[in-house]
Amino acid sequence: MGQMKRYAPLAILGLLAILPLVGLSTYALHILIMVIMWSVIGMAWNLLGGYCGQVSFGHAAFFGVGAYTAGIVYSKGGASAWWGMPLSIVFVSAFAMVIGFICLRLRGPFFALATLAIGVILRVTAENLTGLTDGDLGIMIRERTWVEKTWYFYVILILAAITFYLVKKVIESRLGYYFVAVREDQDAAESLGINTTLYKTIALCLSAVFTGLAGAFYTNYMGYIDPKVVFALHDISIVTIMIVMIGGVATFWGPVIGSVIMVLLAEVIRSIPKLGAAHHTFFGILLIVIIIFLPNGIMGDMPKLRRILRMGKSS
Amino acid sequence: MSSPQLEVLLQTLISGLLLGGLYALIGIGMTLIMGVMKIINLAHGELMMVAMYIAYGLFTLFHLDPYLAVFIAAPALFILGVLLQKFLINPVLKVDSILPENQVILTVGIGMVLANLATVFFTSDYRSTPVDYATKAWYLSDFWKSSPIELSLSYAWSMSFLIAVAITIALWFFLARTDTGKSIRATAQDNDAALLMGVNVGKMRVITFGLGSALVGAAGCLFIPIYYLYPDLGGQFTLIAFVITILGGLGSTVGAIIGGLILGVFESLTATYVGMGWAPVGRFVIFVAALIFIPGGVVSLLRRQKWGK
Amino acid sequence: MRRFTFCLAVIFLVSLFSSTLFAADTFNLVIPLPLTGKQAKFGEMQKRSYEMAVEEINAKGGVKKKKIVLSFEDSGAKPETARAIVEKLIDVKKQPIIVGEYTSACAKAVAAVAEERKTPYLVVASADDNITQQNYKYVFRQNAVNAHYSDGVLDFLKKVVKPQTIAILYESSAFGTSGADAMVKDAGKLGMKILLKEKYEAGSVDFKPILSKVKAAQPDVIYMVSYVMDASLLMKQIKELRIDAKLFAGGAAGFAIPEFIDNAKDAADYVISATLWTPQVKFAGAKEYAEKYKAKYKDYPSYHGASAYSAMYVLKDTLERAKDWTQDRIRDSLKATDMKTAFGPIRFEDKEGYQNQNFMDTLVLQVQKGEFETIWPQQYASKKYIYPIPKWRERK
Repeated sequence: MGQMKRYAPLAILGLLAILPLVGLSTYALHILIMVIMWSVIGMAWNLLGGYCGQVSFGHAAFFGVGAYTAGIVYSKGGASAWWGMPLSIVFVSAFAMVIGFICLRLRGPFFALATLAIGVILRVTAENLTGLTDGDLGIMIRERTWVEKTWYFYVILILAAITFYLVKKVIESRLGYYFVAVREDQDAAESLGINTTLYKTIALCLSAVFTGLAGAFYTNYMGYIDPKVVFALHDISIVTIMIVMIGGVATFWGPVIGSVIMVLLAEVIRSIPKLGAAHHTFFGILLIVIIIFLPNGIMGDMPKLRRILRMGKSS
Repeated sequence: MSSPQLEVLLQTLISGLLLGGLYALIGIGMTLIMGVMKIINLAHGELMMVAMYIAYGLFTLFHLDPYLAVFIAAPALFILGVLLQKFLINPVLKVDSILPENQVILTVGIGMVLANLATVFFTSDYRSTPVDYATKAWYLSDFWKSSPIELSLSYAWSMSFLIAVAITIALWFFLARTDTGKSIRATAQDNDAALLMGVNVGKMRVITFGLGSALVGAAGCLFIPIYYLYPDLGGQFTLIAFVITILGGLGSTVGAIIGGLILGVFESLTATYVGMGWAPVGRFVIFVAALIFIPGGVVSLLRRQKWGK
Repeated sequence: MRRFTFCLAVIFLVSLFSSTLFAADTFNLVIPLPLTGKQAKFGEMQKRSYEMAVEEINAKGGVKKKKIVLSFEDSGAKPETARAIVEKLIDVKKQPIIVGEYTSACAKAVAAVAEERKTPYLVVASADDNITQQNYKYVFRQNAVNAHYSDGVLDFLKKVVKPQTIAILYESSAFGTSGADAMVKDAGKLGMKILLKEKYEAGSVDFKPILSKVKAAQPDVIYMVSYVMDASLLMKQIKELRIDAKLFAGGAAGFAIPEFIDNAKDAADYVISATLWTPQVKFAGAKEYAEKYKAKYKDYPSYHGASAYSAMYVLKDTLERAKDWTQDRIRDSLKATDMKTAFGPIRFEDKEGYQNQNFMDTLVLQVQKGEFETIWPQQYASKKYIYPIPKWRERK
C-alpha cells in the first residue's frame, strides 16, 4: 500500500503524458489543459491557504501579474510571450514580497479582505495604465506558437508536476512543519521562537510564483488577456479558493480533485442542453451540498465520504 | 476659488454625503453579520438584489412606491436570512474544519443560486421602477434668486438618504436599549463570555443574520428608485459593504455610518479631482490603509476619545 | 476514491460522445452566447432573434431542404468557456461554421481558435476594432467596427450642430475605450476641442461628481459611450444637474436599447445616439422583424438583435451557395456574400486595414416624445431631427 501511494503520482503523470497520443479531441485536451492549469493554481493556493492558514482572496493578483508579464514582454518587448514564464518568477516574487509586507501583518478574515482589495486595486490599475498594458483593450497575441494543443498540454503538465513535487517536498520538510504551526496557532508558534512573518512570506512567495507561472501560461495559451479577465475577483480568486476547499484543504490531491470538479463537472453541467441558463443554480446547489456534508472537502473528508457511499450501497 | 470651482466642490460633497448614507445602510448589515458570526458573507449583494426584485415586483403589480416596499421587502429578507442561517450556514459553522473559511464556498454557492434564479424567473433584462420624482430636484437658485452658483439636491436621493438615516437610528436604539440588542452586541464583543452570561448565542446568530439581511434588503429598496436592477448586480455592493465594515470597525453601527460617509465623500472627491476611472482604486487603497493603520476601524479612534459606543 | 474517479470518467466520456449524434436531414447549429452574467441581456436578445429567423427559414423549407436545428451554449462572457465551446463545436460536433458570441473579449478568443482550425467564424455584434485587423482569413464581421459606429453622429454634428467643444465620457471596457478613442480622432478632424475625456467603471451609482466637472467645463456636445444602463443614469443625473449642452450624444449600445427610455423617461428626450440599425429603417424585412419581436417580447429589439436575426439569413444564403459544406467551401461562399438583409446590405470587404469586414452606414437616432426615431442620414430618417434642443429649465 505504501509503495502504491508513493508511486501513484508518477503513475498518474505517466498516464496523463501518454493521453495526447491516443488521439483525444482538441476539446477534451482543452478541458484537460484547463483542469491542469487550475490544479497548479489550486496547489499554489493550498500551500499558503491550506498549510500556512493564510486564506488569500486575491490570487488573481498574482495570476494577473504573471499573465501581464508575458503579455507585456510580447507587446512592448517584442519577444516571445514564453519569456514571460521565467520573467514572471522575478516579477511575481518581488510583487509578492511587497504584498506580504503590507498584508501579512493582518490575521484571519482581515488578511483575506486585504488580499481581496489588492486584487481589485491591481485590476483597476491595469485598466488605467494604458501606456503599459493597453488598458481595457487588452493584449492580443497574433500568432500563437502552436496550433496543436499537445505542446501546451505538456508544458502545463510539466509545470503541474514540478508544482506538485515542490509542494510535497516543502510540506514534508521542516518548512512544512513551521507552516502548519503558524496555521494552528500563530501566537504559540511565535512563542516557540518561530519567525512567523518570515515563514508566512516564504509561503506567500512560493504560492504567488506558481500562480504567476500559470498566469504566464494562460497568456500564451489563450492568446488574449485583458484586466477584467485575468484579475477577475470571482472567476479567478474565488474559483481558486473553491477548487481547494471542495477538493480538500491541506491535502496533496485536493486541488487536483477540486479542479476536476470545478472545471470538468462545471463544463458537463453547463453542456446539459435542457438546463440552459439555469446551470449556475444546479452547480451552486452542488457546491452547497458538498460543503455541508464534507466541510473539509472531498479528500479531507475521504473516510466520511466512503462511509456515505457504503451506506448508500448497503441500503 | 472661483465660483464654478466652488460649485463643483460643493456639488461633489453633497453627492458624496448622500451616497455615503446609502452605502452605510448596506454596510451595517454586513458589519453586524461579520461582527457577530465572524464569517465573510459573499452573498450580501445578492440578498440586496432579491429585495430589489421584491420592490420591483410590487411596483409593477400594485404600483407600490419602492419606499413603501421597504416594509414588505425587509421582513421578507429577514425570513430569508433566518432560513439561510438555520439550515445552511449553521450546520457548516458547527463542524470543526481545518479552515473556518470554508463557509465562503457556502455563501458563494448561495449567491450563485440566488442570482441565477433571478435570471431564470425575471430574465436578465434591465429593470427599473420609473417613479415620477426620480429626476426632480431642489435648486439653490429657486430659493435664492441671485445665487452666484447653482446647486441641486435630488428628491429621490434625499428621500433615500433620510430613510437610511431613520433606519439606522432605529437600529441603534434596538441594539442599545433592548435585551435582544444588548445580547447581540455582547455576542459580537466576546462570544464565549456572552455564552457564560447566559446569552443564547445560537439564537442571536440566527437573529443577526436575519437582521443583516433585512437591513441590506431595505437598502435595496432605497437604491432602486435611483439605480436599476438586473440579476448580476450583487457583487459590487458586496465589495462596498466589506470596505465600510473594515473602515468603520467590525460590528459597530456607528462605525459603519461614519465609514459609509467617509467612503461616499472620498469616492466623490476622487471622481472629481483624480478621475472616475481611478475611483475604485481609491476605495480599496483606503480599505487596505484602514486594515493596517486602524485595525479597529474608525470607531476605535472614537472610543479612544470616549465618544463611541 | 476509485469509484469516484470512475464516475467522473464516465460522465466525461458520456458528455463527449452523446452530443455527436447526427441526423442527416438536419443542419445542427450551436451558438455560443452569454446567457448568464452581466452581458446576459444582450445574449438573450440575440438568442430570441436567432430563434425567430431559424423558425422562419425552417417554415420555408430550410436550407437545401435541411432543417436548421438551433441550440445555444452559455459562455457566461468568459473567454475560456467561449473557447471550450468552440473547440467542442469544431472538433467534436464537426460544425463547419461558427456564429455568435457577444463581448469583444470572447470574440477575440473564438476568432483565434477559428482561424487556427480553419473554420469560418461570423462575428455578429462584437465591436472592438482589432478583431478584423489580424489578417485572419476565416473571421468575418457583420456589424460595423467600433471606429465607424459614430460616423453618422459625426456627420450630423458636422452638418447640423457645428460644435466647437466636446466632452467624452466612456466606460472602462474594450468597447468604451475604443469608442472614445475613435471619437478623439474624429473630433480632431472636425476641429472640435476636447475639454474632458473621462473614464468610469460600468455600474457606478453616482455620476454627479464627474458631471459637475463637465458642467463647469461647458462643452457644446457631451458624448457618452456606455454598454448598458449607465446611459440612463447619466442622463437622469444630467437632468438633475441641469447641464445645458447643445447636444447629448451616445455611442450606441446602452443608448440604443429600449430600456434606456424606460428608465430615463423624460431625461432621455432629445438625446441622439449612434446605432447600426433601427426598427424604422427601410431595409426589406426590418419592420416585419421588429414588429414580430415586439409582439412576442413587448419591446423593440436593438441592432444586436437585428444583426443576429440577419446572420441566420446570411448563413442560409452562404450554405445554399456553397458547393459542399466543408469549412473552406463555406468560407469562400461567405466571402462572396452580397445580399440584402433586414440589417442592411452585407458584403465582406478588405479595406482600411480590416479584413472580411462588412461596412455599413451607421444611423443616428433621437429620442422624441419617448420613442426612438431615426433622424440621420436623411435618406433613412423617419422623423426630422429636433435641434436646437430646449434647455432643461424650459422643459416641462
